[in-house]
Amino acid sequence: MAGRAAAVRRCHHWCASTWQRGGGATNSHDEHRESQPGKPGEKEPDIRFTLANERTFLAWNRTALALVVAGLGIVQLLPPFPRVPWGRHVLGIPLIALGAIVSVTAYLEWRRTQTAMRRSEPVPQSVLPRILVGTITGVAALSAVVLLVSAVR
Amino acid sequence: MPPGQPEDCSPDATALPEDPEDLSPGTAAERTRLAWERTAITFGVVGLVMLRDEPVAGLIVLAVTPLIWALARYVSAVPPPGAQARARRLLLVAVAVTGVAVVAAVAALLGHGGPVRLP
Repeated sequence: MAGRAAAVRRCHHWCASTWQRGGGATNSHDEHRESQPGKPGEKEPDIRFTLANERTFLAWNRTALALVVAGLGIVQLLPPFPRVPWGRHVLGIPLIALGAIVSVTAYLEWRRTQTAMRRSEPVPQSVLPRILVGTITGVAALSAVVLLVSAVR
Repeated sequence: MPPGQPEDCSPDATALPEDPEDLSPGTAAERTRLAWERTAITFGVVGLVMLRDEPVAGLIVLAVTPLIWALARYVSAVPPPGAQARARRLLLVAVAVTGVAVVAAVAALLGHGGPVRLP
C-alpha cells in the first residue's frame, strides 16, 4: 500500500493506476466497484476517490452559500452609501449570482471528474478558481469605485 | 491493528503510508459525512441571515437544512449508495444552493430599498 501511495505521488497526473489502486486484491473497495458496472470501458473508481470528489463538490457549495450570504449581507446590513443609492446592490447582487454559478459549475465539474476517474483518464482542470478570482477581483474594483464616487461627489 | 501499522500485510507495507487514508480508509466516509453536515449547517446560517429581513425566504431555506442533514446519513450507508443515487443527491444540493441564490437575489432586488418596485 505504501509503495502504491508513493507511485501515486510520482505519477505526474492522476491516471489509471491511481484510480484503480488496490490492484487485483479483493477488498471492500473492489467489491463496491464491481457491484456498479457502468458503460463499456468504465469502472467505478476506488470509493475513497469518489468520496474525495464529493467532498470537493460540497466545499464549493459551502463557498457558494458563503458568497450568497456575503451578497445578502451587503444589500441588507450595510448602511446606504452617501450619494450612491445603488451602491449596495451593485456590489451584493454579483456575489449572489456568483454563488449560483459556483454551485452549478461545481456539479458539472463533479460529473466530469467522476467520469474521468471511471475511464481512468486524467482529471480535467477546474475552472472554478478562475471564475472565483475574476469575480471577486471585479467586485473589489467595483467597491473601490463605489467608495470613491460616494466620497468625491 | 496497532496504531502506525499499514492496513495490509504486503511485503512493501513496512513503512507508514504517505496518504493518511491508506492508514485508516474508514475515515474517508467519516470526513465526507462531516462535510455534508457542515454544508447543512451553512444552509441553516443562510436561512437565519435571511430570516432577519425576509421571513418567508428565510423559513424556506431553513426547511432545506434538515433535508441536507438527512442526506449526510447515506454517505456511510452499507452498502454504499450507487453511482446514480450519489449523482441524484449531489444534483439536489446544487439545485438547493442555486434556489437559495435565486431567492436571495429576488429578496435583494425587491426588498427594502431595492431597485425594483412591484406595481
